[in-house]
Order: sequence, then C-alpha cells, then structure tokens
Amino acid sequence: MRLSVRRGGGFAGMVARTDLDSAMLPPADATALAAEIDRAGLRDLAEPRAGRAWPDAQLYDIALVDGKREYRYRCTDATIPERVRELLAWVDDRPERVESIEP
Amino acid sequence: MPERQLHPLTQQPSGVRRRPSCSIAPPDLLAWLAMQGTKDEREAALSSIATSSGIRSRRALIGQFSRELDQNLGLIGVVSLTEQGITVYDNERHGRSFLPGVKKRSAGDALHADPAVNEAFDGSAATAAFFHDVLGRSSLDNAGMELVSSVHYGVAFDNAFWDGSQMVYGDGSDRIFQIGGLTRAIDVIAHELTHGVTEFTAGLVYSKQPGALNESFSDVFGSLVKQYGLSQTAADADWLIGQGVLVPKLGAALRSMKSPGTAFAGDRQPGHMDQYLDLPDDNDPANDNGGVHVNSGIPNRAFYLAAIGLGGAAWEKAGKIWYNALTTKMGTATDFAAAAQFTIDAAGELFGAHEQAIVHGAWTEVGVLP
Repeated sequence: MRLSVRRGGGFAGMVARTDLDSAMLPPADATALAAEIDRAGLRDLAEPRAGRAWPDAQLYDIALVDGKREYRYRCTDATIPERVRELLAWVDDRPERVESIEP
Repeated sequence: MPERQLHPLTQQPSGVRRRPSCSIAPPDLLAWLAMQGTKDEREAALSSIATSSGIRSRRALIGQFSRELDQNLGLIGVVSLTEQGITVYDNERHGRSFLPGVKKRSAGDALHADPAVNEAFDGSAATAAFFHDVLGRSSLDNAGMELVSSVHYGVAFDNAFWDGSQMVYGDGSDRIFQIGGLTRAIDVIAHELTHGVTEFTAGLVYSKQPGALNESFSDVFGSLVKQYGLSQTAADADWLIGQGVLVPKLGAALRSMKSPGTAFAGDRQPGHMDQYLDLPDDNDPANDNGGVHVNSGIPNRAFYLAAIGLGGAAWEKAGKIWYNALTTKMGTATDFAAAAQFTIDAAGELFGAHEQAIVHGAWTEVGVLP
C-alpha cells in the first residue's frame, strides 16, 4: 500500500509531499504501517467540516492506495484528528519515506 | 484611573493581566453573556473570552463578537504598553492538544535559556510597540489583550500560524524552514500578530481576494515592523518577507513585496492583475485557500509602490493609510478593487489630494484600477 501526504497553504504557501510505500519497508514495518493506518481510521474518517480557517494553517491532503482501492482525506491544522497526526509523525520518522517540494 | 466595578462573575486576575477575566466561568456561559447579557456582563464576558488562552473552544467567536457588538474593549480598563501581558509558552512538541503549553516567560521575567522563547517574546514586544507608538493601537484588540505565543509546536513542524487567539511557531524541519528559523525573523512574528489585528477589525475572510488581502496586510505590517526596527526608509528597505528562514536551496526569502515572484525558486506570486491566479478554495493544499499566499503579491506591490511614491519611512504615511483602511473601512468580504478605493479614501482623509493621487497610481500600476 502507498501513502502520500501533501502539506501546503501554510505561512510559506508551498506544498511539501511525503510518500511512503509499504513495498519499500521490511515486512515487520509494513505490518506496522498497516496497523498505524488502521488505528488512524483513515479509510473510514469523515472529513471535518471546514469551519473558520486559521490564517496560515496548513492544509493536509492524505491519499492511501491499498490494492485497487483509493482513499483520500483532507483536513487542516485546525481540524486534523490526533490519531491522524500520530500516523503522520510515524511516517515522518521512517527513513524509507520520499520527500519532495511540489513545483 | 479608578478601578471599575466588576460584575460579580468576574474575578480579579493575578500577575500582569490587569483586565477583568471570568476564566473560571464555563465557555457556554461566557458566550451566552457575551451575546445576551447586560452591557457590563457583555463587556466582562467578551473581555474574558478575548484574553483567556484557556478557552480554546470559543476562539473563533472572538473577532465575530467584537464586530457584531461594536464593543470598545478599551472602556473596560486601559492597560499601558508596559503593563501589557506578553507570555510565551513551550508546546514541548505535543501539538494542538497541548496549546498553549508550559509557561516560560512573561512580562518582567529575565531572559530565558531557550532562544526561541526570547525571540517570540521580543518579537511580540517589538510588534506591540510598533502598533502602539506608530498607529496608537493597544495590542491586537486595541484593548491591551495579552499576547500569547507557543514555540516548539509539534514535531519538526514546518509552519507558523495564528489560531484565532494566539501565535504558534513550529521548529521547522530543514525541509522548508531552517530549524529555529521561524522565530528568528521579526517580520514573521509581526505577520502572525497582524492576523490578530485583522481578525479584530476588518475580519477579512480567509479565502480568495479577501484572504489575499488578509495575507497582504500581514506582510505589510510584518515588513513595517522590521523597517521600523531598522529605522529604514521605504527606498532603503529590502521588502522581503521571511529573509533567511527558508532552507538555502529553496531561496533567500518567502515573498518579495517589491518584486513578487522573485523571492525563491518556484515563487509564483503575481505583481499585476494580468497574472492573477484564480485558484479554487477547495482544501487542496496546492490551491492555498484560493491563492491567499499567491495573489497577495498584487496588493503587496501596490503598498510598496505607494510607500515609494509617498517617500520617507513607509510607516509614516503609507502604513497609516493602510491601517486606517483596514481598521475603519474594510469588511469581511472586501476585494482588491474595494481595498484600493478604501486606501484612496483614507489617503484623502489623513493627508490630501497629492497622497490620494499617489495611492491611486499604485493600484493602477498593479492593474487593480484601470
């Protein structure tokens, strides 16, 4: 499965992207990634209502490709659920992640 | 000045926060009082909502209440600049659930061992002094509101933002921002604080043109606080926002007010309406709330051109004109064309026909006016 996280709209107004492919992970870590995604509930989360924007808050666009199924979840610094933030922190700690800045 | 008689709900606070506070009251009660209470109850409740960093759930109501009730919070208790509360907290990398965090420095305290704490504190003080000394404004709400900052927000968090009641600074990840860079730049701190001023005054919606104006005013006063600290004239200033905060391979600064689109590799800010990017406000990170950090280049350059045309230090005339338009003329949905007219009107009221013509010319040059 592949997870991609795009963060943008913050003070810099740039989009930073992080990709993590479970095929690149050792088997135990791939299992751990699946567990983290389950714990975050990424497949079932209802997107938060936008509400009042926080100036300079980041916007998050999280995409999960799991076999033939794709899931997308969008939130902001104001609305990101704690369990999703924990998933992103786990991903950001993986040396196998690929980072890029979108043009 | 005699102490005002406070409503029994309010308690006399301790420390530097001199204004009435009812932070022990439940948020729903405060909200109800702010909307439905007697005049004194409304003032006390509104003040408490505005100053309490503990009432997170009501943050979004602050600016709205201030506008809807047309409250002059200054009536409640004037706090001089020296008494004004500035407090810096350490979020200890926990993120939103731990805001503001552990208190590290407030007014009167000695320097802290953590440079980020001191930078956020000193930057807040410099910004408050600018608004007070140049524009006659007492803190963000013009009523001496406590300035709350949290540093070390989240883990390697690549951003700084205003959450409706306080400033929040990440440490940066060395991917976009240099580690520790966000609090080192005075214009970044003043930018975030100005979002507070905007929220308490025009309340520009953070989307498309009103959002780009919201961003532009934060850049304008961010740059002016920096220029004021350096005693620079408009001609001498670099007009860069966030110089030295990006990792070097990305570029020298985040934005150039003088030459939008040239601050870093990939900077797509327009400096003229011909290049206006009509992006949707659809929560896609690439679309940036409808291009608020992109199209802000156009009003940014209009301000630069006006400041150069008016001569001298940019805060003396151009800054006062833009401040007058923001705080007395603009509303939540003001677009570029309306902002242009409001600044032209303000130039006439504050100065005269010569200054009006210069401001008009600036908006014409960026294509907002024909």
